[in-house]
Amino acid sequence: MKRIGVFVCWCGSNIAGTVDVEKLSEEIGKMPNVAYSCNYKYTCSEPGQEMIKDAIKEHNLNRIVVAACSPRMHEPTFRKTLAGAGLNPYLLVMANLREQCSWVHHDEEKATEKSIALVRRAVQKAEFAVPLEPTTDSVTGRAMVVGAGIAGIQAALDLADSGHEVVVVEKEPTVGGRMAQLDKTFPTLDCSICILAPKMVDVSGHPNIKLYTNAEVDKLDGYVGNFTATIRKKARSVDEEECIGCGICWEKCPNSVPNKFDMGLGDRSAIYIPFPQAVPSVPVIDRDNCRYYETGKCGICQKLCPKDAVDFEQEDTFVEEEIGAVVVATGYDLYDPTRYPEYNYDKYEDIITGLHLERIMNASGPTDGKVKRPSDGKKPEHVTFIQCVGSRDSQKGHEYCSGVCCMYTAKHATYLKEHYDIDSSVFYMDVRAFKKGYEEFYRRTTDQFEADYLRGRVSRVYGEGDKLIVKGEDSMLGEQVTLETDMVVLATAVEAKPDARKVAQTMGVSYDESFFMTEAHPKLRPVETNAAGVFLAGACQGPKDIPETVAQASGAAAKAINLISKDEIENDPLIANCDTSRCSGCLRCIPVCPYSAVTEEEVTEWNHGEEVTRTAVNVNESLCAGCGTCSAACRSGAMNLRGFSNEQILAEVEAICL
Amino acid sequence: MSINPKPDQSNWEPTVVAFCCNWCSYSGADLAGTSRLEYPTNIRIIRVPCSGRVNPQFVLKAFQKGADAVLVAG
Repeated sequence: MKRIGVFVCWCGSNIAGTVDVEKLSEEIGKMPNVAYSCNYKYTCSEPGQEMIKDAIKEHNLNRIVVAACSPRMHEPTFRKTLAGAGLNPYLLVMANLREQCSWVHHDEEKATEKSIALVRRAVQKAEFAVPLEPTTDSVTGRAMVVGAGIAGIQAALDLADSGHEVVVVEKEPTVGGRMAQLDKTFPTLDCSICILAPKMVDVSGHPNIKLYTNAEVDKLDGYVGNFTATIRKKARSVDEEECIGCGICWEKCPNSVPNKFDMGLGDRSAIYIPFPQAVPSVPVIDRDNCRYYETGKCGICQKLCPKDAVDFEQEDTFVEEEIGAVVVATGYDLYDPTRYPEYNYDKYEDIITGLHLERIMNASGPTDGKVKRPSDGKKPEHVTFIQCVGSRDSQKGHEYCSGVCCMYTAKHATYLKEHYDIDSSVFYMDVRAFKKGYEEFYRRTTDQFEADYLRGRVSRVYGEGDKLIVKGEDSMLGEQVTLETDMVVLATAVEAKPDARKVAQTMGVSYDESFFMTEAHPKLRPVETNAAGVFLAGACQGPKDIPETVAQASGAAAKAINLISKDEIENDPLIANCDTSRCSGCLRCIPVCPYSAVTEEEVTEWNHGEEVTRTAVNVNESLCAGCGTCSAACRSGAMNLRGFSNEQILAEVEAICL
Repeated sequence: MSINPKPDQSNWEPTVVAFCCNWCSYSGADLAGTSRLEYPTNIRIIRVPCSGRVNPQFVLKAFQKGADAVLVAG
């Protein structure tokens, strides 16, 4: 016999402030299958959970309904409570009184009436709840990190140091990512590549790390703990094993093209390494700009290579890697400022972005660290910065704040004054310098290094002679201002990479309206995703600065280690199962299954003294994600979903309509 | 021929049964709660693991038991 216990939670005043909890528990107590009903101020607290355990023993309860917050919040908590009292944890049903009743309604009477219906639904579902046991699966003790910027590098090193093998996949020919392009880092003005390069070298030399550069993940099959990644190694046209990185090829290459790494400010050869500290120090041929691929002639690099490593015929190859967990760290891109025509970014060479300035100031950049105007090579005397280009602008850019531009602009202004004695003016909306040491840094920028901060937007930038004219507003003084300047630097917004959506879909991760990948919970599960076994690190999840990226990467690595250190993992038992005695073998469930978890099988049974073999289906418990599409498609009612069975949902519908 | 569900429509409130996918619309309904967005009390949500779980039989059952509208969200 079912003896259902109902525990109504006040959640302080969150529920009790709108719902009459006394009346609710009294009404529910009248239901014939409810053996015990009570209410309590904080059911999730230690005494609240003890109360449930005591009531289970005292009243001999065998099904439990907790009417409290969303099951997405505390279902795991109360399942543990049941297990602690010796009951199967899946005999719990929750009613969502907080998020879906008390917080969205104000009318106490109507909310109480609705809450009775919601709890009645839960009670009727509990009536049909059955004990479930999770199955277990083995775990592959390796991980894959996708992207090798600072986020991917940090995650890979943490994972590798824990003794696990790590596969690192980087799309570019070198590891390093965006951080390698930066000159200095705020607020300490550490040289970016100086603190990054040792880590890049560690990644390539670590005995536990297998590095694929110039490669992409084409496909991710499998499930948590047991993934198979198909990695496309793009043709490099250079044999990585043979190449010793001597540099003869790129020195002698006759072709010259704008260097993407230097934001097009300098040139590179067609066979190239992106920057001197590149890891691995193996060049790649840019086939779109190589004379050999264009005309079939040249081949100087091949002739000069002492190791005979240049291979013009090389093709993309595919490798498969078995892994247990994935860390996605694919990074970000920068907003295209041509969408602000008033800034004339595409008309004047001296209107640049912050990342251009990073390359200009960098000692290994196109100007060898001398600040020169791209147009005439003259040293600017005054530079104007414009903040929030594409950030905090839902019309032309993104609604969100990119979080890093205030600080990198302050860094630029400080560094220009300190090292080059160049004055600067900054047009800003608000200065957001809210982390450790940031406000102090910003203060030094304005006070010690005398950057002129003007609060207001810029309406137009245009050239006059060899000067640039910036027209804008100083909203503090309520005046229009016109500045004559030598160079304009736009603090462009951080945005998702153009292929972020494709990457997210390959990894099975959800993404938001800006195509940043979404974490499982914004506060409590910030590095996990809704795809079990896939974790996030860095700016692919949202704009971040370096300290935050590194912290998140270590967090993601810790979560991944947590998973792949286990010998086996428990599968959620809320999955489909087929009652083969009822299965007609129509196989309708196979094409509708999104996870290819249903397979055809032959069953042999005795029928009237005869051995008969017929077609039925089988569900792979590891592949099944428990969506239940198969049971909706099943004509004979053989396919059912544990925890959301046909009987349960029909009983819920009936109870909720009363 | 017109079908009028209730003769007096002045105070009539329809009962809406919503089947919400745990991963999107159910968490969306939770988000409505955490954002304190108010909506009428006559919508009752049943959590399903996916909108694909909703068997047409469930929808018919709801109408049979007096629901005026059924929402499948996923």
